[in-house]
Order: sequence, then C-alpha cells, then structure tokens
Amino acid sequence: MRIVEAFVGEYASGKSENAINRSLELLAENHKVTLVDLDTVEPFYTLRPLKKDLQGMGLNVIAWSPEETMGLGEAGSLLRQEMIWALKNEGSIILDIGYGVHGANIFNLIEGATSDPDLKVYAVVSTARPMTATKEDIVEYIKDLGKVDGLINNTHLGNETTPEVIEEGSQIVTEAALELGIPVIYTAVSQELAHQFPGTDKMGNPIKVIKRFMPQAFW
Amino acid sequence: MSEKPVKGSRRVFMTGNEVCAWAALAAEADIMYGYPITPQTDIMQYWTRLAPKYGRKFLQTEDEISAGFTTVGGVIAGKRAFSATTGPGNTLFQEPMSMAEMMRIPTVVIIPQRGGPSTATVIYSQQEVTMTTFGGNGEGFRIVYSTAGHQDLYDYTIKAFNTAWKYRFPTFVLGDGYQAKMREPLTIYDPAERGIEMVKTEPLVGLPGTPGVDRPVQYLRNTYNTEEELYDVVMSIAKDYEKAAPEIMEWQDFDTDGEMDVLILAHGVVSRAAQGALPLLKDAGIHAGHFRPITLRPMPEEQMRQAAAKAKRILVVESAYGQFLKLVKEALYGMDKPIDTLLRPGAGVTAEEIVHRIQEGR
Amino acid sequence: MTREKVALAPHMPKCWNPDTKPHKFCPGCGHGLALKMLGEAIDELGIQDKVVFGCDIGCSLLAWDFFNVDSVQTHHGRTTPVITGIKRARPEIIGIAYMGDGGGYAIGAQHLVNSATRNEKVTAILINNTNYGMTGGQMAPTTLPGQKTETTPYGRDPKETGYPTLGPEMVAAIAREGAYVARGSISNLRQLKKYLKKAIQNQMDGNGFSFVEVLSSCPTNWRTNAEATWSFVEKDMAEYFHVGEFKVPGLKEEK
Repeated sequence: MRIVEAFVGEYASGKSENAINRSLELLAENHKVTLVDLDTVEPFYTLRPLKKDLQGMGLNVIAWSPEETMGLGEAGSLLRQEMIWALKNEGSIILDIGYGVHGANIFNLIEGATSDPDLKVYAVVSTARPMTATKEDIVEYIKDLGKVDGLINNTHLGNETTPEVIEEGSQIVTEAALELGIPVIYTAVSQELAHQFPGTDKMGNPIKVIKRFMPQAFW
Repeated sequence: MSEKPVKGSRRVFMTGNEVCAWAALAAEADIMYGYPITPQTDIMQYWTRLAPKYGRKFLQTEDEISAGFTTVGGVIAGKRAFSATTGPGNTLFQEPMSMAEMMRIPTVVIIPQRGGPSTATVIYSQQEVTMTTFGGNGEGFRIVYSTAGHQDLYDYTIKAFNTAWKYRFPTFVLGDGYQAKMREPLTIYDPAERGIEMVKTEPLVGLPGTPGVDRPVQYLRNTYNTEEELYDVVMSIAKDYEKAAPEIMEWQDFDTDGEMDVLILAHGVVSRAAQGALPLLKDAGIHAGHFRPITLRPMPEEQMRQAAAKAKRILVVESAYGQFLKLVKEALYGMDKPIDTLLRPGAGVTAEEIVHRIQEGR
Repeated sequence: MTREKVALAPHMPKCWNPDTKPHKFCPGCGHGLALKMLGEAIDELGIQDKVVFGCDIGCSLLAWDFFNVDSVQTHHGRTTPVITGIKRARPEIIGIAYMGDGGGYAIGAQHLVNSATRNEKVTAILINNTNYGMTGGQMAPTTLPGQKTETTPYGRDPKETGYPTLGPEMVAAIAREGAYVARGSISNLRQLKKYLKKAIQNQMDGNGFSFVEVLSSCPTNWRTNAEATWSFVEKDMAEYFHVGEFKVPGLKEEK
C-alpha cells in the first residue's frame, strides 16, 4: 500500500523528528520510502545535516546538503526540482513541511498534492510551545493551516520531558482534536520514557516510540 | 491595556528567537522596528504574529540604518522601542547607536551574531563583540549582555529594557545564531510575578503642555560647537557610565575558589563549553576554573582579576579571532599571567576541544 | 523698552523662539524665509503643542532651536527615519522632518523614497539650494548643469555626474493616494506657506506622506549679490525645477 504523509507544524514542534521516525518505520516494514525536506521557512534545524546518514539507512532523501547551498540560511526557501515532483516517486512518501504564514498552501508547490488521494496531513503539536499551549490556540492554529487529517501529540521539554508533561499535552491536544473533529494519530514518546507508556496514554491515544535524531542536526 | 502575554510562570520549549519575542512582549515593549537578516529574522516574524494580539506595533524599515533611527525615534517619543539585527546589519546599526550613546537614548537591540567578516555565514559566531561593545564613532557608553542560552535570552531581554531606561544607555542583548535557532526548555514568566517592575518610560518630545508657553521647550541635539563644550558633555556621560557600571556588571564564577592550574575565560554560548570542560579536566587531574563575564560592557574587570590572580595560567576561548581576548587583556593589564588562547572565528567550540587545548598546552 | 525698539521689532511667528533670534543663517539665505513660512503655518494651524520638529545635518542643523516646539537634531540624512519612528510610536504627534537637498536626495534618499512608498504620515520639508552649504559649497544632487561648485570647479557636467534630482517629481511618481507633494519657492512666500500648510494639514488628516521642496538661495556659496541671487532662484532654478503641486489628495494631479 502506498503511504503518503505530510508532517506539518510550528518551529520546534518536532515535525522533522516525527517524519524521520515514520520514514524509518515504513522502511522496516519493507516499504520503499522517499523522505522530502520541504522546510522552506526555517532552514536551520532541518534534516539537511542528517541527509547522508539517512540515505545510508536506505531512505531516498530529497533535501539540500549543507555544503550544496551557499549561505544556506539566506537560501532557505530554495526548492529543487525533485521536491516539486516528490509525489511521483515510487513507493511511500513522507513530507517534512516547514511552517509559514501560508500554512498548508505550500502543497500548491508540489505537483499533484492537492489531488493525491493517499495524502494525509498530520499536524505535530507540542503544548510546551506557548503559541499552541491551550485547546483554543491549537484549534485556531489548525483551522488556519487548512487540510489537516489528524494531530500528533509531541509535547516535550527536550531532556526535561517527564511522563506528566506528555500526559498533560495529550489531554489538551485530544480536547482540541475532538473539537476539530479529527483524530489524534498518536502520542510521541522518546525511547528513554517508552517503558512508562505501555500501550496507550491516559487519553487512550496510541503511543509511538521516537528515536531522537534531531539533536545531531545542530550545526 | 490588553491581556498580559505571559501569565504566571511556565516551562516551555522553543527557539531562542522566539524566546526574545516573548521576552519583549513580557517586558511590555511597545514597538519593534526592524529589517530582515538571518539569523535574526524570526524575532520579527514572531513579534509580528504576536504583537497585534497584545496591542503592540511593528515597522519593517528600508534598511538597518532606518531600523536604528526609527528605534531611536520611538524611544524619544517615550515608548519602549527595540530592534534586532546582526552581522552587516549590526554594522549599519552603529550609526544610530552612536547617536543613542551621545543623546542617552535607551534603545534595546538584540543581536544574534552571525559569521564574519562581511556576509560570511548566517550560522554562528562571536565576531560582533568589538562592534557591539565599542562600535560607531563612540566611546563604548553602552551596556552589552552576552547570553549563553534560552533562559538568559528571556531574563536579559527583559532586564535590557530596565537597564536601558534606568541608566539611559543603549543596551544590547548579544546572542548568536546557535542560541537563535536551537531549541531548549526554559521558564517564561510574567516579570511582575518575580517582583520585577518595569522601569517607567518617559518621552523626550511631545510632552504635555505648550512648549515655550507653559513649559520649557525640549531641544535635543548631538552636535556641539566647541571642543570644550563637547569635552564637558562626553566627560559627564563617562562619569555617569562609570558610576552606573558597578551596579550593571554581572558575571559568573565556576570552581574558582582555590588555586587553579588554569582559568578559562569565555563568554556567551562558549561559556557552556567551558562549564562542560571543568569536570572533564578534573577527571584528568587538572584543577581548572571558569570565569564568565555576562556584561561585556561594562566589563567586570575587578572580578575577573580576582579570579585570574588564583590561576597559574589563563585560557581565553572564543568563536572570534581575538575580540574578547582584547577585552580580557585590557581587564588584566599589569598582571603577570601567561595567556593561552583557543580562537575559533565563526566556529563552535566544544568542551572536548577546550580540554584538548589545555592538555596540549601542558 | 522704548517705543522705537518696539516699532522696529520685526514680525515673528508666535511659535518662533525669540531667544534664538536673530537666527544664524547667512544674510540672504533662504532658510530663514522658509522657516518663517513654516512658523506661520504652525501658528495658523494652532499646533505648536503637537509638533515635533526634526532637523538634519547641514545648514538645516541651525534650525535645531529655532521654534518653541520640541525639536530633535539627528544625523545627516536620518531625520526622516527619526521622525517616522516618533510618529509610528506616537501617532498623535505631528512630525516635521526638515532637511537639505544632500540629506534628502543623496545620503538619506532611501529614507525619503521608502517613507513615501509606505505613505508615512509625516511631513518632509527639503531646502533645495543647489549645493552643500555648510561644508562650503560642494556639488549637491540638485546642482544645475554647468554650475560651478567646489567639487565641480569647471561646472557640473551631466555626462560625468548626471542631471539634477527632480525630487517632488520622483516622490509624486512613487507616492500613492493620500500623499501631498509640492515644490515652492522663497520667491513666492504666500504660495510656499499655502503648500506648507497643506502638507501639514495632510498629515493631520491622516492621509499620507507629505513632501515640499523649497527652492532656496545660498548667496554665500554662490558668491552672488542680491540681484544675482534672486535671478538664480527665479530664473535658473525655476526653469529647471518647476514650482507647483505634484500630488494633492482628492484632486487630479496638477502642475
């Protein structure tokens, strides 16, 4: 089955992390996987520096490498041809999409995105970010984004994350999802805390154990 | 007045630039003027998203010269005005900031340093130390806080407004591209909750009444006719600056109590590498301490000298080719201490590199 | 005070600061006339308590304590952004930026252009005397073709240094609805005052950017006597720089 998923979200919400983990998960299930970096607004802290490692694991990664783009930050919103045609790749496709004021309009730049029957858009939400800290803020934010098929609770405080932080986030994200009429796809939990979450979180959302890659992406 | 942007206090996780925008909101900043330049731009992006919700204003100017002078104008009008810039933009800011020095205009500017000279990189450096502390055709009558992470960015952005308005010197929050873009947890809070009272702002023009009729006219200038006249003005600013300096200076000591084999001097985010190096050095049998000036202007020279006096050698570490080193040499002038250096212009420094440098030097 | 002295006292606008008069501009300089019209405009509009006057570097600097209105002297070319910053922070203030042709058309041209395109609610007044007066008569953006200055000792050669800047024409071309743009002259003070009043009123009405260039004189650097001075302003300059309104809110553009 062809899986096409886009992970969208605010800076530091954890969309790249979730996109990478999802790609590797599909790879382990013998999918052919293309991972696309479409973080056009926020050129830092994208998966670019991880490109080589991820390709070594067997992913087809469409992203700039840091050495390819002079003055990378200034050139942050460069698209390359392969990005526009990303959905034409064989197999499953995971899109890591940066936030911008135009929200989900970035799909207008990707050939076939608006008509792709398989495309699911998941918004990665962390209530540790003040702009998406309350149910009301999340609802407003998601409505602004456009098409969103589900929420991912990725509430965390980096190394200070505790099960309580995650559960508190889950409650708020779940309430927002209810109001929006869309599901919570899962609650993300880092490997270190996985043992504290057997099965589901307290709100009944599935748990996805996330291996952290992004701290290595720091230049 | 609109609702408070930050109520109570809470633990959050975000980028450094976002922290600055929230801190300026919490500090009751009224207006930001700015021009886009990486890695500063998201301070403006967050401010423009948040400010209208709390009745605050923004102007995107035609360049950084204008960003600096409009900020000066906003402060003259009596508003808590600020800007943010870096690199070549900081260069252009030096002209308006020299006017702010001369006219005692309490501007606040946040500077996430990028690589230089010239356009260089948008990533990271500590190469704007000389320019930010002593730039323009001025005498360095400025206050410069060098932050080392997100909590610092929040705390010192708020503090910058109060220091600026209390002492009436242009004040800078000197960060860097790493701090701007990295993500880490911090506590954001309503300053009032911590007993921090925002210093009241005062207009220099547009006062109540009719000038020359029922109140004196406000004539503001930075031009003087004679050497004597200028000398008196500059000396009086210098006197005020020196008087305020001890109240403004901030620093941190790490393991500097006893005799040290080496004292590591570093500021900003590099201080975190220095702090990380201390336990590694201890394991290697080297007694090292670390002194971090938080204010680069005014420099806590006496405190640095006291720490240096207890060490056999000094190691200066910075992501620049000797800009902080120059300030250190001035502070330690006359002391008989060998100074080693680890200078990495435009590049990050790790704890391991510091350890290696110290072991290599033995 | 004796009767004679009272009788001799010149009429001064109410908002002028009498303590700084007589002013320090050279005899025959047009600044004093322009500032007198500005003073009368302020008086007639009744806004002495609301104006913030910003002045540039160059001879306009000498106006820093000219009025009994709050005043700020800035850097060369930077008066427009300082006044813009004040106005943005405190919209109830009436901001007047006063500058010379060097400040407005050369070193601060980007600020004039961008304030105009943003339609900043400020009033910019620019004195065009075809040279840099305070620095001793060098070429300005407005120096006429063939005109001798200290840096064009053989006369301005447009092939080498271009043609004089047509400021109001430029501003009128880039400014949009709500902007007021005019060029007046010290040789027609009633008209100049009318333009200045409209330029300030336009700001008070919240319409947009207002800009008045004033054709002015600099006999000291021109090395002209009274007759030659007036002739230069009224003939040579007026021939190149057309006096009139270039943009008036609510009206079709007129010359």
